[in-house]
Amino acid sequence: MRRTIVVLTLLTTAAGARNTAAQPGAPQARRAAASPSSDAAAGRQIFDAQCAWCHGNGGDGGTGPDLHGRLRHATTLASIVDIITSGIPGTDMPSFRSPLTERSIRQTAAYVQSLSRTSARPARGNAEHGMALYEQHGCASCHVIDGRGGILGPELTSIGSRRGAAHLREAIVKPAASHPPGYLVVRAAPASGPEIRGIRVAEDVFWIHIRDASGALHTLQKSELKSLDREIDASLMPSYASRVNDPDLDDLVAYLSTLRGTR
Amino acid sequence: MIEHRNAAAFAFVVLGAASLLAQDGQWPMYSGSYSSHRFSPLAQITAANVAELRPVWAYQPPGTGSIESTPIVADGVMYVTSGPTMVAALDLRSGKPLWEWTRPIAASVLNLGFPRVNRGVAIRDGTIYVGTLDGYLVALDARAGIERWAVHVGENPTGHAITAAPLVVDDKVIVGISGGEAGIRGFLDAYDAKSGKPLWRFWTVPSPGEPGSESWPGDSWVHGGGATWLTGSYDPALKLLYWGTGNPGPDWNGDARKGDNLYTSSLVAIDVGTGKPRWHFQFTPHDVHDWDANQIPLLVDAEVGGRPRALVVTANRNGFFYALDRRTGAFVYGTPYAKQTWAKGLDDTGRPIEIAGMEPSEKGTLVYPSLQGSTNWASPSYSPATGMVYVPVREMGSVYFKTPTEYRPGTYFTGGSEKRLDDESWGAVRAIDVKTGKKMWDFALPSPPWAGVMATAGGLVFSGSNEGNFYALDAASGKPLWQFQTGGAIRSGPMSFLAGGRQHVAIAGGHALFVFALGE
Repeated sequence: MRRTIVVLTLLTTAAGARNTAAQPGAPQARRAAASPSSDAAAGRQIFDAQCAWCHGNGGDGGTGPDLHGRLRHATTLASIVDIITSGIPGTDMPSFRSPLTERSIRQTAAYVQSLSRTSARPARGNAEHGMALYEQHGCASCHVIDGRGGILGPELTSIGSRRGAAHLREAIVKPAASHPPGYLVVRAAPASGPEIRGIRVAEDVFWIHIRDASGALHTLQKSELKSLDREIDASLMPSYASRVNDPDLDDLVAYLSTLRGTR
Repeated sequence: MIEHRNAAAFAFVVLGAASLLAQDGQWPMYSGSYSSHRFSPLAQITAANVAELRPVWAYQPPGTGSIESTPIVADGVMYVTSGPTMVAALDLRSGKPLWEWTRPIAASVLNLGFPRVNRGVAIRDGTIYVGTLDGYLVALDARAGIERWAVHVGENPTGHAITAAPLVVDDKVIVGISGGEAGIRGFLDAYDAKSGKPLWRFWTVPSPGEPGSESWPGDSWVHGGGATWLTGSYDPALKLLYWGTGNPGPDWNGDARKGDNLYTSSLVAIDVGTGKPRWHFQFTPHDVHDWDANQIPLLVDAEVGGRPRALVVTANRNGFFYALDRRTGAFVYGTPYAKQTWAKGLDDTGRPIEIAGMEPSEKGTLVYPSLQGSTNWASPSYSPATGMVYVPVREMGSVYFKTPTEYRPGTYFTGGSEKRLDDESWGAVRAIDVKTGKKMWDFALPSPPWAGVMATAGGLVFSGSNEGNFYALDAASGKPLWQFQTGGAIRSGPMSFLAGGRQHVAIAGGHALFVFALGE
């Protein structure tokens, strides 16, 4: 039920944000309309309904990447069409062959191309200082960048190419608001001994494997548990809202945004 | 010998009205019997000894992908299929293939709205019948896997395909069609079992002037959907086929097809001799959530309200469990069996009392169940011993989106999409009292399942999980008694047979078929 509310709120927020976001987007839309591809204006509407869930309104990024500036997987209109049609294997980008017609895909691609032709907006903060903050707050105890760090949280080596700045900011301030697949928090009460709370590493009908905050892996038979709860709105990561001030938060996000992978 | 044993099995299924499974340890058709109970009368494996169940062999077909097939066993041989379209004949004791037949399926063959799978075969008189992904019905010699004939059922370039197991009734082969996301006009076909000659075609969407055509404005009927993509059931006494139909097209955008859109998302009783509909019951009028009604109907004789009834019961994708009079199609009862947020309930005729504002929208509409429904193609089971129907239940909601759409041959014609609420989803095998529709017990699963269910005379219920577990439950209480980790998601139906006088149980997990028996 709580999850339901989260989703509905998200929808309302997205709808509200769209109105305010319309202004900065307008010059680009005009430029696109003047270009050979007048599809871009129609594409924006489709984008707002189908793509903004992940890429944010106006392509500003969210759980999916910001689409301004050079695109990582596509350079031409045809390759953007291919990606929208078939998705990108090994990423969260799905195929839109079913919900969208070929024409809609072409229009959406034209809009995405218009975004990519605008220069990537530099992040607000100071990335160099953000890197120092990353070290100072001990983020590496749970996260790997370029092969170094702990395994309790998601790897961040290419996080800047996969998530938008707004989402990164939220992940630091409200880590429980969303979590990537594979990081569900569960709580198990064995017949004897203390409660075990941690990340669900694997689960089937009869067994569950939990990694607790100390990194220890627990293999538990469900029939021997007194209770087992999924905390779908929780995260093992603490909130940094009260530990990092606003300018520092900008710097941290700026640093994370520079992480584009080693490949 | 082959003919004699086939005849014996056939005589039995014609005679029995309630539980129509061959007693001699065969599993002669996709759902086990014409009544589709998926109830094995074999009782060697029981609650007392199921803990001793062990794998005895496994089989991995050529190719890749999940096996979604339920094998059949007839004349001492198992016939199992794999995707896109291949059939293997396996020795019951060694597990070795006696033959393998593969239909050449080009990468360009379309499968719009479903994976490149095959779900099983039918057998009659030493001939195996299989539908192909590219839209043909093929007859194979059961002894050698050599093709006898093939007939063209549907044009694949327009999205027609066959994944369902055909059903043999007397001298006819009945076969359904897939393609409900490609804007096909659905139909059910009957072919002569010996020659492949077409006998009749029932269109699930009527053409102008036919009864039901008033539920389609303009030419919306032409791409109206109503696919028949799963195997139906048959009552030999009434000579009626019971076949579920799929969603209307386009799936999520109903603007151009205002009206009930008959006979989509319905159960249709069809005279097997003529192909004419006797009655229909529409579960979801003007469906805009892709709630196909193809789930396999169970033919059950039971007392309801103190009165013996000839019923057809079904757990529908829309979240309601229905019991209908299988002679007339009259609504007997209907009750929600899973979380649903789109209807206040059902009226006296079984029509849903819909809640306003639940249709897909441009900004998204949160509705339970998800478009995959409260249950899907994974087969339910009925045990005459417990009087319970066992349903693989999917508890999941979705945000439904509507988009503009236009029909283009061989492309998706869906008009929308969904955002599934994966985090909070879960699943269950749910036992339902057939007399009342009330839930008797739940066996919870970590995620919404794609595995079928089988009840047995040994007092067990077998099923599987996406997480690879194949397990046995106590049929009366739902208590787990045994499990085996197959190592791959289970997207297939369990079945049971005798080999060497011993009861075996089979299930496919991932790309392998596993067969189990008690220790000797």
